Amino acid sequence: MENTPQIELTSVHKYYNQGQENEVHALKDVNLSIARQEIVCLRGPSGSGKTTLLCLIGCVFGPSSGRAAVGGKQLQRMPDEFLTKYRRETIGFIFQHFNILPHLSVEKNVALPLLPLGISPREQKSRVGVLLERFGIEHRKNFKASQISGGELQRVAIARALINDPPIILADEPTAHLDSRRSHELMEYLVSLRQDGKTIILTSHDPLVTEHAGVDRIVDVQDGCIVSGSR
Amino acid sequence: MHSAIQQQLNILDYGLHSLWQKKGKNLAVFLIFSAVIFLLASFQFMSASLGKTAEHLLKTVPDITVQQLLAGRQVPLSTESVEKLDLIFGISDIRLRIWGYYFDESNGANYTVIGSSAPATDPLLESLLVSGRYPTEDENHKVVLGDAVIQNLDLQNRTHFSLFRPDLSQISLQRVGVFQESANLLTADLMLMGLEDARDLFAMQENEITDLLISVGNPVEISTIAEKIANALPGSRVITAQQIQKTYKAVFSFRSGFGAACLLASLAAFVILAFDKALGFSREDQQEVGILKMLGWQTRDIMRLRFYESLATAACAFGLGISLAWIHILFFDGILFRPIFLGWSVLRPTLTIIPYIQGRDILLLFAFSVLPYLAATIIPAWRASIVRPDSVV
Repeated sequence: MENTPQIELTSVHKYYNQGQENEVHALKDVNLSIARQEIVCLRGPSGSGKTTLLCLIGCVFGPSSGRAAVGGKQLQRMPDEFLTKYRRETIGFIFQHFNILPHLSVEKNVALPLLPLGISPREQKSRVGVLLERFGIEHRKNFKASQISGGELQRVAIARALINDPPIILADEPTAHLDSRRSHELMEYLVSLRQDGKTIILTSHDPLVTEHAGVDRIVDVQDGCIVSGSR
Repeated sequence: MHSAIQQQLNILDYGLHSLWQKKGKNLAVFLIFSAVIFLLASFQFMSASLGKTAEHLLKTVPDITVQQLLAGRQVPLSTESVEKLDLIFGISDIRLRIWGYYFDESNGANYTVIGSSAPATDPLLESLLVSGRYPTEDENHKVVLGDAVIQNLDLQNRTHFSLFRPDLSQISLQRVGVFQESANLLTADLMLMGLEDARDLFAMQENEITDLLISVGNPVEISTIAEKIANALPGSRVITAQQIQKTYKAVFSFRSGFGAACLLASLAAFVILAFDKALGFSREDQQEVGILKMLGWQTRDIMRLRFYESLATAACAFGLGISLAWIHILFFDGILFRPIFLGWSVLRPTLTIIPYIQGRDILLLFAFSVLPYLAATIIPAWRASIVRPDSVV
């Protein structure tokens, strides 16, 4: 593991609906540093701000105040268009419900992040094929996502997160809807990605995740604040 | 291939694929849009076909037609009036005509009967025949029939048939020619015969006719000569070819404009429906946008995706609507719009319409259907594409 911080948040605040009656102060004075190839788990109860923190690291939005640097880029003054561009080059997302589009085939789902990049269909097929083979679901490539099992869905979600070869993988409650066997499988997959040079940040309060041997650090989040940050 | 073009192709491919996978959801809009285009296109094609047919046929109209009026109603004209017109310089030819209607009680149809003094010598009439010939000046009981008359009388291959005089005695006639289909607008219900036969059929007096058909040597002088004729024949109605053409155009324009206004209103209603439907993005649609944006799709990529989906829907509906309209005109004679276009006719015989389509009609239909639809879906597409991804994922 390298010690260079890949993600560095300094005095970050995040407000939703700032200045309005329904203003929410979701992150309060957050300071967090995550090194390259580190596996970090954000832990906290529902509504504690861990998903907001994950979205901020994932360049979905910038901070309301403070400094946020991801991969050396400052997010705070970045317009939406550049945030999106940066996100697709730097971040791979694995969502809580996987968010695989059910009407598309496995192959099309995995290729989704490549489409706006202007990658040719041949190159798309080749890249998707490599990942599907790696995760053992190549035989399902023409199946609709609605026709495959939960375990296969999670592998499709991981393959889609990796298709652009991003240096950072973010996973929001990835085991929330899986049984213990599938949760364990998923963690093994995620931990194995470290060997590819990936930095992995998860949110979870599932002991199977927080107590997994591959996780380097637990960051506790409560009421929008980081209350503890080491294991 | 340049990556910007490949990017567009990728988004287009995704849009088409997604549209196909969710075809059930888009079916209603597609079918309604196709139906609206079908109605508009049928109307436009029929209007163009009838206009073109009328324009072609009105070339056969004489330069000047003269009729006699009494108390504001048309009455027979005496053949002696021809002598009064001989004195007018510039008239190149005068033909006599009897124009009337024959009611066939056996099937309730009205036929137009024209008795002409010299049909065989008229070069314009010659072009309207599909088979046979016109009766010559010295022939009796010979007739040229329109297609609908042959069908109504159930003549098939028979050439001889009879009609009733007013006193119910019969007059025997022999078919010697058939009018061509493209002239059906004027000839579908027509029986053309010699002047003597028409006079016999309607039991008119020896020297009576209904119209004088006058040809003028110099077209520039037509209105001047018409004025002279009106002065020479007191109580006459003098109609120039230009006036007849104007009347036809006015009738078609009014009917066409009225129908088009009604159909454009239905198109407007559809555009509002499309706008409304596009605004009401389902939770599923919003989630799809959220996922795509999370995965790095820009707002403009989502807008392009929605635009391509709308364009594909509109293009397919346009193609289907135009094709159905063509079939409607070609195989069903524009049956839906016949009452609007031909509603003034009291004639029963059927009319076959020859389809006539111009590129500008297609462009006009495209401009009045596809473009408003695309415009109506732009704002909803933009609204959908600015959804914050974290709010729906």
